[in-house]
Amino acid sequence: MSELARILLVEDDPRDVELTLTALGEYNLANEVVITRDGEKALDFLYCRGEFSTRSKDNPAVMLLDLKLPKVDGLEVLQQIKSDERLKLIPVVVLTSSQEEKDMMRSYKLGVNAYVVKPVDFHEFVNAIKELGVFWAVINEPPPGSVKKAP
Amino acid sequence: MNKSAIMTDHAEGPTGVGVSRTLARWDRESQRIRSPVLRYGFSIVSVAVGLGLALAFQHYGVQNVESPPFSLAIVLTAWYAGIGPCVVAVVLSAACFNYFFSEPLYTFEITSEDLPNFLLFTIWAIITAGFVSARRRIESDLRQARDHLQVEVEQRKQRENEVRKLNQELAKRATELETSNNELESFAYSVSHDLRAPLRHVVGYSELLQKQASSLLDEKSRRYTRTILESAKRMGNLIDDLLAFSRIGRTETKKTLVSLDQLVKDVVAETRLDTGGRDIVWKIHPLPVCYGDRSMLRLVIGNLLSNAVKFTRMRAPAEIEIGCADGEDEVEVFVRDNGAGFDMQYIDKLFGVFQRLHLPEEFEGTGIGLATVRRIIHRHGGEVRAEGGVDQGATFYFSLPKAQDAAERTADTL
Repeated sequence: MSELARILLVEDDPRDVELTLTALGEYNLANEVVITRDGEKALDFLYCRGEFSTRSKDNPAVMLLDLKLPKVDGLEVLQQIKSDERLKLIPVVVLTSSQEEKDMMRSYKLGVNAYVVKPVDFHEFVNAIKELGVFWAVINEPPPGSVKKAP
Repeated sequence: MNKSAIMTDHAEGPTGVGVSRTLARWDRESQRIRSPVLRYGFSIVSVAVGLGLALAFQHYGVQNVESPPFSLAIVLTAWYAGIGPCVVAVVLSAACFNYFFSEPLYTFEITSEDLPNFLLFTIWAIITAGFVSARRRIESDLRQARDHLQVEVEQRKQRENEVRKLNQELAKRATELETSNNELESFAYSVSHDLRAPLRHVVGYSELLQKQASSLLDEKSRRYTRTILESAKRMGNLIDDLLAFSRIGRTETKKTLVSLDQLVKDVVAETRLDTGGRDIVWKIHPLPVCYGDRSMLRLVIGNLLSNAVKFTRMRAPAEIEIGCADGEDEVEVFVRDNGAGFDMQYIDKLFGVFQRLHLPEEFEGTGIGLATVRRIIHRHGGEVRAEGGVDQGATFYFSLPKAQDAAERTADTL
């Protein structure tokens, strides 16, 4: 497991994973991404359970969270994180296809830090992901207890 | 009495059943009293009793009270037994009176002194018969009224049942509607989530392919990938438009007072940013304040103005006019342009979903703008219409209830 788990990407669709990594790759952030494919695994990662029990205890600098996920969906993961004292400081960015106001309202009510609708246009998508990655993993100073950026 | 019986009947309680049974029995009893044997028997017995009384009075020396017992017998017979027995009673009384109490005694010889007594009996009979017939008439009227009321109660019960049935039907319909609305909601939700993802992949991978292999591909293959990209993007726009369109039906309207003047000014200012290079003459007349959902009305004006701008692309100068006609209880706003216009023959298709009257090469668009306009205006209780001719420009009208009327209506319902 990479020590540089600055970005936790929770995404079930392998194509979206590849496109997101491609976008992040343009800013050399791809190798700092940990990918979990459903909500349960994401929580396992955050709580250092199961296959993640041996990872370093630092929190990721940012979590990119899809909403429609198998087993435990994105909003449930978000609710879990924001109601846990140890995890609530992790910045969470919802990254979803949905423009539904309902999802947006619920996410913000649960305390999401940003809500990004994946653009259909690839250039816009790449830009959005790149800017997200750069802002949250490089520019933003993460809360104490997170993985520090490389000097 | 009748009324209370009906009321309790209506309540279908045990008391009601008891009362109506008693009524029925009373009816049967009176039928029996009217049977001929009893009626004539009654007549004879009454006269006999009257005679007995009169003889008793005579025996004990009471003077001048021979006729009242007979009169009483006649009155009772007339009251209880009807006309025929009454005649019998009069004849019998006259005969008995003549025989026992009138001079010469113990003969049936009639003298002129008997006549006033006979006349008295007859008058008693006629007066009582008059009362009886009046009673009968009133009784039959009452009976009719009772029957009428009973029929009405039945009808009211029936109507109440119908209303109850209709209410149940309505409640069922409402539930069905809610179910289908929820289904629509979840359908739109899945479209929003699931349909856009594969589309994004088509676009993404085509872009990657273009980037990766553009040096290896010939011009034809590059055109193919470009076409794939354009089509996917177009589909993305269609899905977005369709979702926005369905959202109009799903979200509630938040109505407030909206200044159309300000709304048009905002939209025009926004539109001008995108049409910097073009020569457009805007004619904006004063517009009223109306009552509606601000963001929805903004969408209406935005769609109409962007259409006007789009379809006047080949005009220099393009002329776009916005104004209104004041009606009695509604205002009609119009947007007129001197653009490409349309053939009035296809007016029915103009406001349909995904209906287009121009080729995509001429004017871009998904064909949902005017459908959105119509849907929003209908939700506000207004109407839309259009006039135009090919190459003669087009005028679009939409009507809205007047602000004060609408506000009053809302105040009334509060």
